[in-house]
Amino acid sequence: MKKYILIRILKSIVSIFMVVSIVLAMIYTMIPTTKVFEQDPAFRRLSGSDAIFYRYNKLDELGYLDNMTMDDMCRESSDDYAACMISDSEENLRVLQVYEDKGYTIERLVKYQNPDDTSEATVDYIAHYDYNAFQIIFNFWTNLVRVDNSGFVNNTYGKKLSEPVEERYYFGTDQNGVTGLMCSGCRYKYQIYFDGNFPFIHQNIIKLNFGNSFPTNAGVPTMEIISRGQGEQASTEQTFPSGITQTSPYIQTTCEFMPTPDQASLRLFPDQYADCISAYTSPSMIMTSYIFGIASLILVYVIALPFGISMAQHKGKLIDKFGVVVINLLISLPSLALIFFLKYIGSFFGMPDKFPQLGFNDIKSYILPIIILALLSLPSLMMWIRRYMVDQSNADYVKFAKAKGLSQKEIFHKHILKNAIIPIVNGIPGSVILCISGAFITESVFAIPGMGKMLPDSIKVANNNMVITITFILTTLSVLSVLLGDLLMTVVDPRIQLSAKGGD
Amino acid sequence: MAENKDIILSVKDLEVKFKVRDRVLTAIRNISMDFEKGQVVAIVGESGSGKSVFTKTFTGMLDSNGKVTNGEIWFEGQNLCEIKKESDWEKIRGRKIATVFQDPMTSLNPVRTIGYQISEVIIKHQGKSKEEAKKEAISLMERVGIYNAAQRYDEYPFMYSGGMRQRIVIAIALACRPEILICDEPTTALDVTIQAQIIHLIKDLAKEYGFTTIYITHDLGVVANVADRVAVMYAGQIIEYGLVEEIFYDPKHPYTWGLLSSLPQLGEKGNELFAIRGTPPSLFEKVIGDAFAPRSDYAMQIDFEEEPPFFEVSPTHFAKTWLLDPRAPKVEAPATIRNLHDKMVRLTAKGGIYGEH
Repeated sequence: MKKYILIRILKSIVSIFMVVSIVLAMIYTMIPTTKVFEQDPAFRRLSGSDAIFYRYNKLDELGYLDNMTMDDMCRESSDDYAACMISDSEENLRVLQVYEDKGYTIERLVKYQNPDDTSEATVDYIAHYDYNAFQIIFNFWTNLVRVDNSGFVNNTYGKKLSEPVEERYYFGTDQNGVTGLMCSGCRYKYQIYFDGNFPFIHQNIIKLNFGNSFPTNAGVPTMEIISRGQGEQASTEQTFPSGITQTSPYIQTTCEFMPTPDQASLRLFPDQYADCISAYTSPSMIMTSYIFGIASLILVYVIALPFGISMAQHKGKLIDKFGVVVINLLISLPSLALIFFLKYIGSFFGMPDKFPQLGFNDIKSYILPIIILALLSLPSLMMWIRRYMVDQSNADYVKFAKAKGLSQKEIFHKHILKNAIIPIVNGIPGSVILCISGAFITESVFAIPGMGKMLPDSIKVANNNMVITITFILTTLSVLSVLLGDLLMTVVDPRIQLSAKGGD
Repeated sequence: MAENKDIILSVKDLEVKFKVRDRVLTAIRNISMDFEKGQVVAIVGESGSGKSVFTKTFTGMLDSNGKVTNGEIWFEGQNLCEIKKESDWEKIRGRKIATVFQDPMTSLNPVRTIGYQISEVIIKHQGKSKEEAKKEAISLMERVGIYNAAQRYDEYPFMYSGGMRQRIVIAIALACRPEILICDEPTTALDVTIQAQIIHLIKDLAKEYGFTTIYITHDLGVVANVADRVAVMYAGQIIEYGLVEEIFYDPKHPYTWGLLSSLPQLGEKGNELFAIRGTPPSLFEKVIGDAFAPRSDYAMQIDFEEEPPFFEVSPTHFAKTWLLDPRAPKVEAPATIRNLHDKMVRLTAKGGIYGEH
């Protein structure tokens, strides 16, 4: 069993690796780079060599290529920096030749001081090395897991700091007076800390790094976009490390080291751990989708289980016929039609037709979308429960249970249900976990700020890092749900024993 | 039929019809039969002759498209044909009349423990507590020959072999001390060595618990070994009924002759095995005369015109054939089965599978 799970986990990791790598290769080789800048307002304002500089700089950030400016090249490969920086000088051309030999493409940029006067111009060079698909995939996986260490600040920002930061781990208290493991010299000040949010114990030691979002929300890490709160900033009165107490939205446990803080930050955070995430009044995208998903899922099971069971129990009777009509109706109606129809009905009961009208804090905002989401997945679950129950009720053990003198009700509840529920149980972890992926149509219709729209929107604007982040999350969770489903099955079905050996 | 004071179950003019795709099939045609207390009655006949359907009427277990259309089944002063409510049947099923089915591999719920499935019945019918039921279930398991019963109480059916599962099925059937145990081909799905064990187990338990056993089988070897009385069924009717010796050594109905001649044990090396020619009549149509007549070598004109009555051969032996009418020509049973006794003795003496263990 243990060996089996280990092998399954290894296989899962391989599957995740394969899927994400294929998506990476597709995105980076098949989507033209011009598409990336189409939606970028900053790029559209630039022209000439500025645009080219900006473009290569961004492509470097996005992982397409390795971009070297003349400054970078001279610092790295020349002993005579000053001579190297003079365009078309001997040293300058020598260094360029070095990079050309390494496989870099050299571009000569001519910048005119005055667009009308072509005589006065400065020449600059830029070199870039385009990664192939394998290098992109390799870079992604090697940069994915980021482990924090106490030498981080000195190693990364050493040159820019006035004096090295002390490197040590210690136990301290956060703004709420709760003890946590803290660090000086790490990227994050708080390494392990506790608070009132799920899952109550948090860590900053190992982080997944998917890069920054671009061109929408440029510069913000993709994980932060989908997991941070939305809406207005929620300020609370808190005491900062400097001893100053003031109202601020900062969550101090999330603070990252800031190499060049401004005066305002330094006033609050003398230790330069000033790059903090703010608290918001509304839940994050993932959380929003999850609230709707879980609520509708519970509703679906609460309705479908008893309904499906009694349909099977009274097969061919009135309740069964009624159920079949309901199932047929819900399945045959296009989901869009159902959504708009229920939205229309809901408006008579004073339900808002857009989520932001009443917002997160009004229960009315949730009712209609949850009912719609539930009705969309209700028929198939009901149908399968009924089907499994009916199949089982023809089994021999049911005949024998009847011959034993058990009543119809006892047979259904003590014998058939436990058999029929096995295939249903297998799918439960998946339904629970994958709630976070959101529901595209329903969320769009009600303008719910959830995950559903995130993937299509990111694909539309070529937000590659976001697409990969979501792909990675969904792939991992899907693989995980299948594994959990199988493990759960061994609990309800004693015949299933996960074993590493082949054969049975 | 013989009048006997110790009759536990009495069937009178039973008729069962099934509705199959808008057509009506008569599966049981006017059977009258008495079962004596403590006896082992074997019902034999080929597939589709109505053996199972006949016994299913005793427990109200007919499929939903079947119905008793005529007749009475008297059991403990109650006419079972008049029971309408399922809750009334539940007082009979398991508690008074228990059934053991053919396939032990599928008779038990795969996801419930063996112990649960036995004690469930004890709790239901005897109203005992969980602990008492467990104690009784374990002793029952030991009685039917399960070693380490206490440890195996919490195991699941898939951990048991076919023979052991059938022992459990028997234990469940006995859990309520039934008056009648119906064994619907209890050994068909088992291999021969296990068959013999199960047959002897049922035989011993019948003596110990004193229940009446009704065997349904097409294995005449089993019949010879366990039965006191034999009823031969053909096309929804009992065509011959008698003590086991009478049926085996002095059969009167041509169908019984054919059935006995078909015993594979009687086949001689080099000769083809005997088989009754033709197929049984369609039960969708009304059967006129003797249902076996078209397949019989001894059929007379009257067999195609009028249904024969039961002729008494001895006070315990009856056969439904015109051959027993005084006006009929004298016919002898086929040579193959004439000295069946000697042949059987020789077979069993050689260490045949049905020899006593």
